[in-house]
Amino acid sequence: MADNLKDILSNLSPDIDQETLMLYLQNKLSEEKRHEVEKTLLDNEFADDALEGLQQFNDKKQINFLVEQLNTDLRRKLEKKKQRREKLRIKEQPWLYISVLIILMLIIIGYILVRRMLLHP
Amino acid sequence: MKVEKYSHITDQELLEYYYTGHDSKWLGILLERYTLLLLGVCMKYLKNEEEAKDSVQQIFLKAITELKKYKVEFFKSWIYMVAKNHCLMKLRDRQGKLPAELNDKLTATADPETDTAALWKNDKTLDLMNESLKELNPEQQQCVTLFYLEKKSYLEISDQTGYSLLQVKSYIQNGKRNLKILIEKKIKDRV
Repeated sequence: MADNLKDILSNLSPDIDQETLMLYLQNKLSEEKRHEVEKTLLDNEFADDALEGLQQFNDKKQINFLVEQLNTDLRRKLEKKKQRREKLRIKEQPWLYISVLIILMLIIIGYILVRRMLLHP
Repeated sequence: MKVEKYSHITDQELLEYYYTGHDSKWLGILLERYTLLLLGVCMKYLKNEEEAKDSVQQIFLKAITELKKYKVEFFKSWIYMVAKNHCLMKLRDRQGKLPAELNDKLTATADPETDTAALWKNDKTLDLMNESLKELNPEQQQCVTLFYLEKKSYLEISDQTGYSLLQVKSYIQNGKRNLKILIEKKIKDRV
C-alpha cells in the first residue's frame, strides 16, 4: 500500500520500448501490463505525446511499416554520408599528392630529354 | 533486428562512441530507437500521416547535422525538443499564426522535478498523502485510487466508472499533480 502511494509522487521518467508501445496500441497486452504501461506514460511526456499521436493513425498495422521505411531511409542516408566521408579521406591522403607530383615531374623530365635528343641528335 | 543487438548500450554510450570515432553507425542505432516516438509526436501535432512521416525524416537530418556541431548530453530530451520545435514551425507555416493554446502546449517546459526521495525521507509524508487524497475532487480521487492503489488500467476504470478513456487519463494526471501540490504545501506549512 505504501509503495503504491509512493508511485503517485514518482516522476522518474522511465523508458518504454517501442515493441511494448506497439502491443499497447494494438490492445494486445494483459490488463496488468496495460496498467504498467499507463503508469510509465504518466511520467514520460515524450512517450505519452507519441502514444496520443500514434492512436490517431487510421490503420495501426501501417505504423510498423512506416517505422521500417523510415529506418531503412535513415540507414541509406547515413551510408551515403559515410561513403562520401571515406572518399574525402582518400583525397586527403598525402601520398596521393606526392604520387601525382612525381608523375608530373617524370613527364616534364621525359619531355625535356626527348626535346634535347631531337635538337642534338 | 539491428537495433535489438545493441539494446544493452545506453543512449549516452552510443553518443560517446559516435563522438569518439565519428562512425555514423552509432548515430543510426540511436536515432532508430526513437523513430516510433518521433512519428507519434509529429502525428499528434500535425495530424497528417504523410506530413508526420516527412517530418521524422527532416528531424533525422537535423539531428545528423546538429550532433556533429556540438555535444548533446541528454539525447532523449534533446530529440523531443527538436521534434516539438519542428512541429511548431510547421504549424506556424501552415496557419500563419498559431492558436495561443497550442503554442503554450508546444513551448511549455516540464515542471521542475520535485525531489521525491527527499519527500519520502519524511515519514509523515505517507499520512499527508492519505490526508491529501481525500481533499481531491471526487472524480480525481476515485480515478487516482483505482489506478495507483488498485492497479487498474484506464480501460477497467472507464468500464467501472463510466468516464471516457480521455476523462480517466485527465483525472489521473490532474489528480497526481494536485496531490503533489497539496503535499508540498502541507510540508511547507508544518516546517
